[in-house]
Amino acid sequence: MIYLDNAATTFTKPAEVYGAVAAAMKSMTSPGRGGYASAMRAADTVFRCRETAARLFGVTSPENVVFTMNATHALNIAVRSVVRPGMRVITTPWEHNSVLRPLRAAGADICPVRAELFHPDSALESFDEMTRRGAGCAVLCHVSNVFGCVLPLDEIAQVCRMRGIPLIVDASQSAGCEDIDMEALGARFIAMPGHKGLYGPQGTGLLLCGGDAEPLLYGGSGSASELETMPAFLPDMLEAGTHNVPGIAGLLAGLEYVLRRTPAAVRRHERELLRQTARGLSEIGGVTVYAPEDPARQTGCLSFTIGDMGSERAAEELGEMGIAVRAGLHCAPMAHRWAGTAPDGTVRVSVSDFSRRSDVAALVSAVRKLTKSKG
Amino acid sequence: MLYCLIVCTSLTYAQRTAAVLERRGIPSAVVRTPSEYAVNGCGYSVRIQQRYIEGAGAALEEAGLSPVRIVTGLRSGQTGRGRP
Repeated sequence: MIYLDNAATTFTKPAEVYGAVAAAMKSMTSPGRGGYASAMRAADTVFRCRETAARLFGVTSPENVVFTMNATHALNIAVRSVVRPGMRVITTPWEHNSVLRPLRAAGADICPVRAELFHPDSALESFDEMTRRGAGCAVLCHVSNVFGCVLPLDEIAQVCRMRGIPLIVDASQSAGCEDIDMEALGARFIAMPGHKGLYGPQGTGLLLCGGDAEPLLYGGSGSASELETMPAFLPDMLEAGTHNVPGIAGLLAGLEYVLRRTPAAVRRHERELLRQTARGLSEIGGVTVYAPEDPARQTGCLSFTIGDMGSERAAEELGEMGIAVRAGLHCAPMAHRWAGTAPDGTVRVSVSDFSRRSDVAALVSAVRKLTKSKG
Repeated sequence: MLYCLIVCTSLTYAQRTAAVLERRGIPSAVVRTPSEYAVNGCGYSVRIQQRYIEGAGAALEEAGLSPVRIVTGLRSGQTGRGRP
């Protein structure tokens, strides 16, 4: 199988990740639950993972790195900590349901900026104009999970700092391949999965905390056990229950890989593959490719449609040819309404550091074959 | 030999404390806090030899770390398990 659904989960991981997960399962128990060797080995691994994430993302203290099950879990904590009913919250049209649904559940007044696809200046201009009218919070993705368009995060964060607006960033598609510096951004929270661009196992995620937080789950933390309330300090406040130690051990190996490789090198590789994909697909009659002229405005994934062929059918046909891509709305319905690709959605191709030029060439060739057979 | 216990609010805080001390060349061990020194129940501490206490205090202050308390003059059997 040629796997091009890395925006959902990276499938090929660095070899060290598999080894780290297996070793943790054989030699580690639970951190914070004892002083014996297997518990302390787990504690060391968990702490090293916090330190490594802090180094990669410019977080001042490792205790401000909180482990979650995934980015959705992290975003739920962030939204719960900041958003109140009726609060005017600025978002983008590209948000995933992991942002939209927690905001809706919190009773937020969701206000998306008016942004053109692949035109970061239009997003910034609209963000500036909308926040002038006041906002309780901004919650937005760094990179769209449908179109791969990159938001001007540094500039948006600057506006937030200037106006005192708490910023929550969904870095699901950017962590590991875009530069993210928590301290420089001054963000209140940054949420990310461990199983995508950080190459950890499924069931891992991170919440980087830049301010006060509220627990989403309540339970044992291995600290302040006499109290019936959650500890008032990070990370214990947000980490009730037993940690996913094998997952965190794998995530640590993934983070170390990204640090060695550097996000800039990953980004260059992925952009080159996307450019090859866009070029190849756009030469096929009847195929509409959503890609910018400037490749720097797209990261990780690309969407396309094939004439009036439904996206689900196209993906199914490609699947039968051994190519795994994703079809539909990609859990981001507003993005499709905005881009004019609703209700059927798009076929999404997403690459990783382990994708090869031959993978992309095979996809282009399969799409060409598909259009010929249907034409 | 005499030891000190640097009692911390959490395991992570104790690990961070130990990392700061290690970087200063002060051997340390993260240990369970003996119940007589614990605050609000279970917790973790950092154990060091007493002769390092001044250097440790300076290192923690420089790193902006404030332990819950520091217990001095302990013998090895009073400090929880672990090295040194």
